[in-house]
Amino acid sequence: MSADHTRDPCPIVILNDFGGAFSMGVIGGCVWHGIKGFRNSPYGERGYGAISAIKARAPVVGGNFGVWGGLFSTFDCSVKAVRKREDAWNAVIAGFFTGGALAIRGGWRHTRNSAITCACLLGVFEGVGMMMQRFMAQPTMAPQYPDQPLTA
Amino acid sequence: MSWLFGGKTEQPKKEESLQQTLGFDPAQVSDVSSILSAPGVLDSARLHPLAGLDKGIEYLDLEEEQLNNVEGAQGLIPSRSWTDDLCYGTGAVYLLGLGIGGAYGFQEGVKNLPKNAPPRLQLNTILNHITKRGPYLGNSAGVLALTYNLIDSSLDGFRGKHDDINSVAAGALAGAIFRSSAGLRPMGYSTVLMAGAAGAWCGLKRLLA
Repeated sequence: MSADHTRDPCPIVILNDFGGAFSMGVIGGCVWHGIKGFRNSPYGERGYGAISAIKARAPVVGGNFGVWGGLFSTFDCSVKAVRKREDAWNAVIAGFFTGGALAIRGGWRHTRNSAITCACLLGVFEGVGMMMQRFMAQPTMAPQYPDQPLTA
Repeated sequence: MSWLFGGKTEQPKKEESLQQTLGFDPAQVSDVSSILSAPGVLDSARLHPLAGLDKGIEYLDLEEEQLNNVEGAQGLIPSRSWTDDLCYGTGAVYLLGLGIGGAYGFQEGVKNLPKNAPPRLQLNTILNHITKRGPYLGNSAGVLALTYNLIDSSLDGFRGKHDDINSVAAGALAGAIFRSSAGLRPMGYSTVLMAGAAGAWCGLKRLLA
């Protein structure tokens, strides 16, 4: 039995990440562009403005999120397959490739800068995640026992 | 002195009982490597027969209590809950739309290639057409699948079971919502189309399972 049952094994988890990131983007885009469209519309047409902004923009946000998440997951799986180990560097390397791949039509400089930015961002994410994990795990290391033995 | 070191008569009996509980004779063991090199010690079937160690690593072998236990919800791949259904369904349909739209854009770009253009410009034309068609179709299909899956899972939750009626109803509702701002006639078309697609998917799923 593999240890981590919260995530599926590698090739098929790409599909999951595509869908999850897309859904996250669409739902977040609905909220974001709903508010934006509402605020940027004249009085009397605010509901209509919100709906039309959601219709025009939320799927695009979802698509951007989905492509990013799916590409990242694809690169993550590839890096895992090549390196044959699981650590924080996988995410950083995958972020580097993702950022580069998404900016590849903008020219060499843009690709390089975007790849480095994305790798740094993922490095910060991984670092914060590790710190949070350590922070959260601390109290369970030393459980507090009562002074008095429990009465039977 | 027998109270300190134990009587001589008791000694062999104790060793025998130790050998019974440990499975090997402690007097004959000199170090760890001699235990490990003994034949049959690391046999996975004997180490713990109930742990299933001889089966190797099992992928997609989710724990029983984590699985989706709505009646009739056992689909093509094991799913934990409605979020798994949502992610996989949306992801698959989104990728499908992206691929089909990209292929359509590709052939459109090839058809519209500018005459006597440098290869860089030709590549750019094709890429522009792909990125124009692919994301549009993918986004629309993805939003439809997202709505469909959300409604389907909600209906499952309400009715307590998962069947084809839920699926077709969810498809019809998703189609109606998707084109709800375009007028009654397009809304009807998309409702019928999506209900038909959901029905076809149910049939396909039954065929594959």
